[in-house]
Formats: sequence, C-alpha cells, structure tokens
Amino acid sequence: MPGYGLRITSIVLGWGALALAGSLPGCVEAVPQDAIEAVENIDRDLMQLRAAEFSPNDYAQFAHQWMALKSRVQADEDLIRWPWEPNDLEIALRRLQEEGAHTVTRLTKERETLRHSAESKIAQVEDRSRMMTMQVSGIDSRLVLGQKPVETDLLMKQARAFYEQGQYDRSLDAADRAAQNLATQAVLLSHELGRYANRDQIVGWQQMAKDTITWSRIHRASAVVVSKADRVLTLYRNGQKIVSYPVRLGFNGIREKRYQGDGATPEGRYRVSSKRGQGQTQFYRALVLDYPNEEDRRRYRLERKTGQIPASRAIGGQIEIHGVENELMAQTLGCVMLENTQMVLLFDRVEKGTPVTIVGALHEQNSVAQTLEMLGVQRKET
Amino acid sequence: MNSRSTVLPVLCALLMLTACAKPPTEQIAAAEKAVSEAQQSGASTYVADEYAKVQGSLAALKKEVSDQDGKLAIFRDYGKVEQLAVAAKSDAERLKAEATKKKDEAKAAALQAQQVAQEAVAATLALVAKAPTGKDRAALESIKADAEALKASLNQVQMAIDTADYPVAQTKAVAIHEKSQAVSHEIEAALAKIGKGKPSAAKKK
Repeated sequence: MPGYGLRITSIVLGWGALALAGSLPGCVEAVPQDAIEAVENIDRDLMQLRAAEFSPNDYAQFAHQWMALKSRVQADEDLIRWPWEPNDLEIALRRLQEEGAHTVTRLTKERETLRHSAESKIAQVEDRSRMMTMQVSGIDSRLVLGQKPVETDLLMKQARAFYEQGQYDRSLDAADRAAQNLATQAVLLSHELGRYANRDQIVGWQQMAKDTITWSRIHRASAVVVSKADRVLTLYRNGQKIVSYPVRLGFNGIREKRYQGDGATPEGRYRVSSKRGQGQTQFYRALVLDYPNEEDRRRYRLERKTGQIPASRAIGGQIEIHGVENELMAQTLGCVMLENTQMVLLFDRVEKGTPVTIVGALHEQNSVAQTLEMLGVQRKET
Repeated sequence: MNSRSTVLPVLCALLMLTACAKPPTEQIAAAEKAVSEAQQSGASTYVADEYAKVQGSLAALKKEVSDQDGKLAIFRDYGKVEQLAVAAKSDAERLKAEATKKKDEAKAAALQAQQVAQEAVAATLALVAKAPTGKDRAALESIKADAEALKASLNQVQMAIDTADYPVAQTKAVAIHEKSQAVSHEIEAALAKIGKGKPSAAKKK
C-alpha cells in the first residue's frame, strides 16, 4: 500500500510539473508585436497627414495615449502576466489603434475638404480678380485703387504657394484675405466713383449739358459737351447735335480734377480760351480751356484749407482738347484727346469763347455705374 | 543571539529603505526643462509630431509619479519614472537640436528670398525712375503705383521675419519677386513703345 500511495503522489507531482511547464510560457507572454506595429502604422499615417500641424489637439491626444502605452510596453512588469489574467495592455493598444484609425479617416476627410475649400477659394478669387481688372480697366479707374491690386495679387500668389506646399489652412487664409482685399477695392471704387451712379448728380450733369445746348441754340453757335463715362465728345451747332467723337482722357481721368499732376480731367463749364494751330502746339492742334474756373478755384481753396489737398500742390492748368502727339499714348495728363483727323474737323468748327461742358455722365446706365453695380453684386457673392 | 533577533533589524532596515523611496525630482525637472527649451526653440512648429510625442512621454511620466505616490510607502518604486525622465530629456534635447536646425534653414531661406525680392524691387524702381517725364509718363502711372506697392510689401516680409514666421516671409518674398519681374517687363515694354515717340516737355495740367 505504501508503494501505491507513492505512485499516486508521483503521478500527481508529474502532472503538476507538466501543467506548470505548460503554463510557464504564458507567464512571460509579451504584448503581441502586431498590436504595437498597428499603432505605429497609425502614427505614421497621422504624421503623413501632418496631423500635428493640421489638427494639433487630435494628434496630441493620440500621442499622449501612445506614449503612455509605449512606456508600459517597455516596462518589465507589463510583459509578464498569468494566463488567466486579461492582457489590459493589449486591449488598450487595440483600442488606441481603433481610435487612431477613426482619427486618420476623419482627418483625411477634413484635410480633403480643406484642400477643396482652398482650391475653390483660390479659383474664385482669381476669377474675381481677373473680372475686376477687366472692369476697372474698362472704366480707366486703375489708379483709384492705388496699391490694392498689387496687394491682392501678392496674396493670391501666396495662397497658391501654400496650396502647392499642402498648407491648405494657410492657403485658405491668404485667399480669404485676397477676397477681402478685392471687396475693399469694390468699396473704394464705389466711394470714389459713386457719383456716377448718383441720380441727383446725373440730373445735375444732364442739366449742365442741356444748358450748353440751349446756349448753342440761342446764340446760334457751336458748343461742346464731353461725357467722361462714355468717353465721347459731342459738337452742337444751333442746338443741334452735329457729330460725336470718341476721346481719351487723363490717366486718372475718371476722377474729378483737384490739383496739378493728379491726372484727372476736370468737370465743369469751360470755354475755349485760345486756339493753337499747327506749329503752335505739340499735339497737332489744341483748344485751350479756361480751367481753372471760379468754381474750381473755390473748391480747391476749400480742400486746401481742410487739408484734403497738400499745401505743396498747385491747382494746375493748361487743360486742352487736343490731337495726338504720339499714337502710342493711351491717355493724357488730364486733357481731352481726339484722333488728329477728328481734331482738325472740330478745330475748324469752334471759336475762341465756345462753351465746353465736361460732365461725368449723361445717363444713369453709364459704364461706370454699370461697373460699380456689377462689382457690388460680386462683392456680395464673395 | 537567536534568529528572531537577527531577522528583525534586517526587516526594519529594509522597511526604512523602501519607505524612503522618493520621486527623482531632479531628473523630472531636467526633463521638463529640456521639453520647455525644445518648445522655445520652435519644436512645436518645426518638429510638431515629435514634440507632441515628447509631451506625451512627459505626461506618462507624471502619471507614473502620481500612481507611485498613491501607493503605500513600502510599495513605491520610482525606477520607471527615472527611466522615463531620462528618455524624455534625451528626446527633448534631440528635438531642440532638430528644431533649431530646421528653423535656421527656414530663416536662411526666408532671408535669401527677401534679398532676391529686394533686388527685384530695386531694379523695378530703377526702371520706373528711367521713365521719361511729361506727357509720355502718363501711361506709366499705374505701373509706378504697382512698383510703389511692391516696395511697401517688402515691409511685410521684414515683419514676418521679425516674428519668426519664416514660411509666410518666404512665400511673400517669392510673390514680390515674381510680381516685380512682371512689372519690370511691363515697364520695359512700355519704355520700348514710348521710345518710338518723341519726348514731351513737362506741362502744367
């Protein structure tokens, strides 16, 4: 019997030892390598997405969890567990992998949306800028905008450069600022040229032209009316329209003349103060106007007094209706310029003392008013 | 001397030793200082992902300190904290060096772009100055406004450099350079056209 007991004890001990030996590898089971690699892959995806720059909070959250788990992975005690114990670390890694994958998917979508927004905005602003350049050029008002067009251009170039670098948020920001700059340009134009769309002002101009035509009829003489918006000079005789010629104005002609060198063409009632024939002017033939008249002087004095015109600026003069000196010249310094063939016809039909009335516009639907209206609509759309 | 009288002092000594385990404050402070220096050197901008990770390591370290602090004195072990602190410090120092290098590179690129832009604008302004005065200058007035705008924009490049926003400084400078060249070409074309006409005397207008 003692031999039987010993055998049983041996069997029990043998099975026990076998079970222990079998369970030993389970005690030292490391965190599965694939779980670590999966999180590392997520990290790489997030870095590729530039998540730390694009969505710093999301990446910080991921990085904090990943570093916390990594420190646990590296710590010896976390590598050992009993087979019957749940592997918390592996569970946490799998959870982080899952959350990270969701973050990658979400950020990929968000980044694509941002890229698309930046691309659309750039295209929209570039289109708008092209339109504005054309429209502004059409009414010769480039100088009204000063440095704004170049500022807009530089912002658009920056927006394009950031877009190409994959920095869509910065690209969008630059494009937004370019759009704001364009809107400011539209406001500036409206402020500077709004009188072309002002009904009362147009009625006033229409009355000036009407008075001039009436004078022509009463005095049975010639009179000239120039519309700056239409860039047209019309000759009247005995109150009847004789002929209209296209004209070129000052390089800043759409504006109202305020002082010498501003490139603007004056508006008001003038008279031909002298005629300069061939050899007496560099501009083929010229009709010198009596600018500045009393109204011009009064306005100039007031603006000087209120500081709107710098003290160093004179009122200017030598405003003429003249021919072309150089065919390549698109604009004048403030005069009204005709083609030489038309200038000679006009020159022969007017006398010293002939009234010349220069107005901004004669119709509510003039080119400047239409441009301002279009720009206003576009500004609202941007 | 019986065995009890030998074991008891040894146990007491062990207890005292373990009860004295304290967090490695110097190493933790050194790691925090290194992370802060990395941040100041621009790591959060130039090596943003790596910087986020080292911040994560610092957070893990602090959590470990907190976990150990929450244990009974005899069970506290700050060995892992020490390991993490040493690793975080080392990583932060590496990031500081990397960020400094990248920042210096970005600064050098921005400064070079700024110089190129300055030279281009100077050349454009010189062309504008060459333009004839008087009647023929009228056509160049809008170009002159553009050149003045480019000159004013150079200040924005300097401002971006002053605030260490080198990517903005560089893209702005490159944009100015490109635009300046375009304006110069416009002026050259205008001058070529104007050259065909006879010069005009300056007149009061």
